[in-house]
Amino acid sequence: MSTRRLLLALAVAAVLIALSLLLGRFGAYLVRAVAIAGIGALSLNLLIGYCGQISFAQGALLGVGAYVAGNLGNAGADGVLALLGAGAATAAIGALIGLPALRLRGLYFAIATLAAQAILEYLFKMLEPFTGGVSGLVIRQPAFFGLPVASDQVSAAVSVLVLLITWLALTRLTRTNLGRAFLVVRESEVVAKGMGLDVARTKAWAFAISGFVAGVAGGLIGFAARLASPEAFTLDLSADYIAMIIVGGLGSWAGPLVGAAFVVLLPEAIQRVGEAFDIANLLSALRELAFGLLIILFLIFEPRGLSSLLPRLRWTQRRQTPGAATGFGERAGAAVATKGGERP
Amino acid sequence: MTLALQLAVAGLATGSVYALIALGIVLIYKCSGVVNFAQGAYAMLGAYASYVLLSAGLPAVLAVLASMGVMAGVGALTERLVLRPMLKAPVVAVMMVTLGLLICARAACLAVFGPDQIAFPPVFPEGAVSAGGIFVTYNYIAAGILAAVLSLGFLLFYARTPMGLMQRCAADNSRAALAIGIHVSNQVSAAWAMSAALAGLAGTLLATLNGLSLGLADIGMVAFPVVVVGGLSSLEGALVAGLVLGVLQSFTDGLLTPALEDVLRANTGIYSVGALQQVLPYALLVLMLLLRPQGLFGRRGAERI
Amino acid sequence: MKKIMLGALLAAGVAAWAAPSRAADLTVCAWGTITGPDALVNGMAYGTRDYFEFLNQTRGGIAGNKVNTLLLDGRYKLDEELKIYRRCVDQENAVYVNGWSTGSVNALKDQISGDGVPFMTDSFASQVLDPEKLPFIFMAGPTYEQQMIIALRDLKQKGGKRVVLMHADNEYGRGPVNVVRQSGIVQKLGLELVDTVEFRYDAQDLTGQLLRVKSRNPDMVYIQSSAPQALVTLRDAAKVGLPARLFIGNMYDISPTIPEQLGPAAEGFRAIQIYAQFGEEIPAMKDIEAFRAKNKIAKEDIYYMKGWLQGTAMSAAISNAIQKSGGKVPSDLKAFRKLVRDEMEALRDVNTGGITPPLNYADHQGSTQARIAEIKDGKYVVAGEWIDAR
Repeated sequence: MSTRRLLLALAVAAVLIALSLLLGRFGAYLVRAVAIAGIGALSLNLLIGYCGQISFAQGALLGVGAYVAGNLGNAGADGVLALLGAGAATAAIGALIGLPALRLRGLYFAIATLAAQAILEYLFKMLEPFTGGVSGLVIRQPAFFGLPVASDQVSAAVSVLVLLITWLALTRLTRTNLGRAFLVVRESEVVAKGMGLDVARTKAWAFAISGFVAGVAGGLIGFAARLASPEAFTLDLSADYIAMIIVGGLGSWAGPLVGAAFVVLLPEAIQRVGEAFDIANLLSALRELAFGLLIILFLIFEPRGLSSLLPRLRWTQRRQTPGAATGFGERAGAAVATKGGERP
Repeated sequence: MTLALQLAVAGLATGSVYALIALGIVLIYKCSGVVNFAQGAYAMLGAYASYVLLSAGLPAVLAVLASMGVMAGVGALTERLVLRPMLKAPVVAVMMVTLGLLICARAACLAVFGPDQIAFPPVFPEGAVSAGGIFVTYNYIAAGILAAVLSLGFLLFYARTPMGLMQRCAADNSRAALAIGIHVSNQVSAAWAMSAALAGLAGTLLATLNGLSLGLADIGMVAFPVVVVGGLSSLEGALVAGLVLGVLQSFTDGLLTPALEDVLRANTGIYSVGALQQVLPYALLVLMLLLRPQGLFGRRGAERI
Repeated sequence: MKKIMLGALLAAGVAAWAAPSRAADLTVCAWGTITGPDALVNGMAYGTRDYFEFLNQTRGGIAGNKVNTLLLDGRYKLDEELKIYRRCVDQENAVYVNGWSTGSVNALKDQISGDGVPFMTDSFASQVLDPEKLPFIFMAGPTYEQQMIIALRDLKQKGGKRVVLMHADNEYGRGPVNVVRQSGIVQKLGLELVDTVEFRYDAQDLTGQLLRVKSRNPDMVYIQSSAPQALVTLRDAAKVGLPARLFIGNMYDISPTIPEQLGPAAEGFRAIQIYAQFGEEIPAMKDIEAFRAKNKIAKEDIYYMKGWLQGTAMSAAISNAIQKSGGKVPSDLKAFRKLVRDEMEALRDVNTGGITPPLNYADHQGSTQARIAEIKDGKYVVAGEWIDAR
């Protein structure tokens, strides 16, 4: 099972890299965007899907990562070092945001993260020496392990590799004691306490790890856009990421990737369909509508998200080999999903 | 001093609109345990509905009442069509679904009315009073008073009428309410309807002050700090916190920011403190969560597990 | 149901990847905020596109070559704009790109040089105006700073003294105000900068800020922001009893929406006017009328004129480049783009049909002249002669 998953992950990464090489710079741009969004969504999935802590501050955390990585890279640090630094700094801020979660539950905490998002956005604009203020921070693409990232294709490949590493690390994490502790905390803090788990510490770890991954994703966003500006890391971005993990499937590990691809590519797809029929500007207004409707419809009718469709679809096609059904994506988050899914 | 008074008046007017929106959020939360991100969307939809009705030539009073009616329908429909199927869904899913509603409502208004700001037809008489150096337009007075009166009226309704009593029962203990024969799910629908109607009115009032645009939906985001500061399950808290926040924001714009900037410009290289009033509600919120998580008027243990 | 959803997804995916295949000899790519916070001024995006369409319809394109013009919606979102740029340059093979926001051109400036693609920015930000270091970026008029200086000079001439600068809390707002403030030009002109006031760019209520402005007792308030913010500013100025005649805005504050919505509260408001108004009696208007006879014009305002002018300048450069290559579009796109850039910089005395004085692109700005317009009886009326900002 484990080798299969590894092979599958490697195959997906290889296909993504091949796509970016085949489809030119615009293709590479899209592959990179999907890969980076995938990393950010994995980070949020750990927090919301696994540990049950709702956060609306993902957009701002990505911003922290972009600013830190950008500053480190501009100061001459290697790309790897810059990403790790961004991860560390964002982990610290993530844990700081998580502090109220040790006292507050559910809704109160979710609203506290709204505050964190707003305050960080304000700081991005004000801390001019570090963030460049409203003009933003112009970022140079650093070398990775001393090798220059000469083209968009290479930078897409770097993002895909980081995605691969993140995915493997996080799926591995969920099979450790800490990973299981996340699930218990999500289901019931009372039960977790009863089992002798240190709830506060478990939550703090979730925030730190999720923050680390968000920082790395943010750093990659900075390198890709070559500018970190406050307007790029708003609450809208947080909403996009929450949409990704919901559309993809809350609490599964394939879900965030499917959701990221969906949310990144959907506007482009609508745009191209619109252009094909010469109604692009009309559809422009409708693309947000489609986005919102999708969120609502998925939550009501398919709470387990797009990723749950994949194995089921395959199952219907290959009835003879039922073993194939579990091939893609472990449904560790089935509990979350069935809460909403198993209605009379 | 006149500046302070003038700022206070402006702050009270916007604050009373915050209060109306926040009341709706609290009402929904009490009854159905849902934090409704779409409250701002209701305000926006209410304003657009009033605009359509006013443009169709309806008298102001009728148009505003009719738009409240429309919004009550929208609220009840939301509850029936979207929230009820999600009764057993996790909190995050319900919050997200209301966020989805917000996105949809904005997109729908964008598609129908376009992205540009629209002039709102006059609802109140034009003109202004000027007393003791304070200059206030009728618009402001009317909107402020109307919002304040309605908020108070609503509190009375909730405290004194049979329907208000049933609402409170359903919210406090839905099983007990069922046991004594209250139709709980109807009460929940009624709460959504009332809440949406209140928000719709708030939106209309805001549009008379600020013009009609998609940006009206953003007020929902300001209302969240308001409800938390007031206490998520306290109607009085929402009212007081709304007014306080409105005045504080106004003072921040008119007094605190310039004073701070004067000091900073004289002594440091910093020239601007940015849009301080925008983070003020959130800073207050954080402070409140650290010091008194249940809010100004909330009771301990009010938060739901 | 689920299969249909997945099928739709796959179909959408295929559509997204489908390579564009359009019958045209050259491509020009533009993006603007079709839907988004600053959509009020998006006439200029339509104007540029329509000018190339006009050439296709009446003159067989540029020097006999049909132009394929793409107009995309950047939604004033940075990642969307960056994506569109990448698409324009690498997938659509555009020879000239017309981009929208200050933020996007700032993020793209190195990539534009690297890609070697001529870029007409809708922004007037001075930090992207550098013929030496950023040889591929062009704009269509005086920078925001120059517009502000025109207003300051006008104030000095009229004998005023106290100046307040209001601006939004984004790059477009804060950047030029900081440049002007730090340059000391206000003091050099013998004026006094009594305050600068920053507000959120999507603010719906500026009453507190305007009370602050009122307490400073200014002779002139310059608004470095666009029409939607000017609308809020003037409305709330009326609320606190500040007359509109104190206020003056940049070229993005000329919008019929302002007098329409504010009525008497907008009387006396002034703004920097770089282009002729839509409907003015100028030769270019005849072309626009001819185009309007057969097509629908999305926004009939001064920004449309700006777009039309940008189209005029861009097509003049492309036309010269084609003529230099023997009347045909060169097959080497990179060389063609470089040639268009060189021809753009070489443009002198381009007749704009009266939209602006003749263009000279040696400094990448075209024209640096502007007039001041004032709202009188609900209409913007030009209140003086052309003033050169340099």
